[in-house]
Amino acid sequence: MPRARILGIFACVISTVLLAVFGYYAYILNDAYSISNVQKIAAETYYAVAVPVGMVTIGILSTGFWVGMTILTIKVAPPMPEIVEKKDNSKFKAFLLCLVTAALAGLFIYGVIQQYYLAIAIPATVITLVLLGMVFWVGVAIITARSTLYKEK
Amino acid sequence: MRVLFLCYRGNPYCGGQGIYLYHLTRELAKQGVEIDVLVGPPYPDPMEEWANVYKLENLHLWSMRTSHIPYENLKKLFSPWHFLEYVATRFHIFPEMETFSMKSFFYLKKLLKKKQYDLIHDVQCLGWGLLPMKEYGIPIVTTVHHPLTRDRNADFLIDTTMWEKACTILFYPLTMQRKVINRLHRVITSSREGLHELKQAFGLSPEKVSVVYNGMDVELFRNTGEPRKQKSLLFVGNTEDHKKGMRYLFEALAMLPEDVTLTIVDEGPPKRLTAWKMIERLKLQHRVHFTGKVDLDELVYHYSTCTILVMSSLYEGFGLPAAEAMSCETPVVATTAGALPEVVGDAGILVQPENPGALKDAINTLLNNAPLREELGKKGRRRAVDMFAWPVAAQNTLAVYKDVVASYRSSL
Repeated sequence: MPRARILGIFACVISTVLLAVFGYYAYILNDAYSISNVQKIAAETYYAVAVPVGMVTIGILSTGFWVGMTILTIKVAPPMPEIVEKKDNSKFKAFLLCLVTAALAGLFIYGVIQQYYLAIAIPATVITLVLLGMVFWVGVAIITARSTLYKEK
Repeated sequence: MRVLFLCYRGNPYCGGQGIYLYHLTRELAKQGVEIDVLVGPPYPDPMEEWANVYKLENLHLWSMRTSHIPYENLKKLFSPWHFLEYVATRFHIFPEMETFSMKSFFYLKKLLKKKQYDLIHDVQCLGWGLLPMKEYGIPIVTTVHHPLTRDRNADFLIDTTMWEKACTILFYPLTMQRKVINRLHRVITSSREGLHELKQAFGLSPEKVSVVYNGMDVELFRNTGEPRKQKSLLFVGNTEDHKKGMRYLFEALAMLPEDVTLTIVDEGPPKRLTAWKMIERLKLQHRVHFTGKVDLDELVYHYSTCTILVMSSLYEGFGLPAAEAMSCETPVVATTAGALPEVVGDAGILVQPENPGALKDAINTLLNNAPLREELGKKGRRRAVDMFAWPVAAQNTLAVYKDVVASYRSSL
């Protein structure tokens, strides 16, 4: 079997296993829904996890907010009438995007200050799912792709 | 003087930076500058005669679905830079400038073990990697023909949904460029208009900017001597680009006599419909002809055989078609938008943008005055050779290099 295909299978297996391990430790082992604050672990331990997770989370939410704000505030000439004939409601959607991202950011910061476990577990889950999902998807693409080169020796 | 060029896309057929890299490095080498080039794909035509070319890999993942990525490239996706590009492109971010600059930073570290440079010349990348690169102790100059804010705003004019607008915002790395450009030693732009543009877009102080006019191949763009068509207008450019002001050109054409025709060097229907819809609305189908994509020889033929080149632009960072037409001794009617007055000078007639009546009058004046057309054509050729030939651009660029190196060394 070519080395690249082995790499693809390896990527799929590893990402699936890691996803399962993460889900078990994050949600099942400690019965995540019964943890309202993490009194049994030291605050330093909590923030050691919360800060990096928080930086990524706030980064993503800020990007969403910035996109919405840019659409709301950018000043360009009105769209060409030759092109746009339908009603443009993107300003309203951009406002909603700002509102949702600001509310999520507020909720996240409040949760971290209160040291809620779910405040870091949910964003960590989303980030992990996205990254592992991409690794998995590339793995699938490698497995199912047809090589245009000669077989590797 | 030893100069390292950085160019994230080097092929001359995929964008202005490739043409700039190819011709400028060749002319600089003729003037005694030792040139090394770090370049991303598509790679430039062979430049080994006058430069050492180091190629950096990029998989071109932008707008490519995972299932369409070639098998050979899929195998490479798990390397850190490629995976980072893969993740970014899935979120409609265009990461090529960021990753090219970071790869260049690491590659340069290896190069500096055996080489030394007096200056680094970045061509329109402005990636994060240029900031740590400053720590190598080499002054960095960048060329920006026009800020990407212009392109983003033009895209906004044709984006109709929230999703398209969000993708446009994510595509252009303006935050990065704003941070980086203000921290480089000098910025070269191609017109005086660019000073104002760069200040407005990036808050860049005019003292940090040097104006060097774009170069072009005045030997290639030379009148072929073939007889000119009568009452034949020419437009060269992207008709989908709102900045070109196509609407005003068509409205002017509708006001001109029936026997005046317009040739557009661009794709027409069915591939590009924006201009065609306007043409249909004004019932000009029988007077407008699209050439589709043409090679350089055909382009020179069109410049040499049309009566007038018309540019109805609302903005131009430089206006290369005007300079090319002038080089082919073709008179120009253009608007006063952007850098066009600087380029055209006294070799054409300038009118206010968004004014089809003024455009029509200027075209009419020239169509009915053959001696004036000839006079403007001769002036245009002279102006193109004196101001926009590559040797002139290289000479002026070298003067900027010397100034930057001298002030950098005196500040140490």
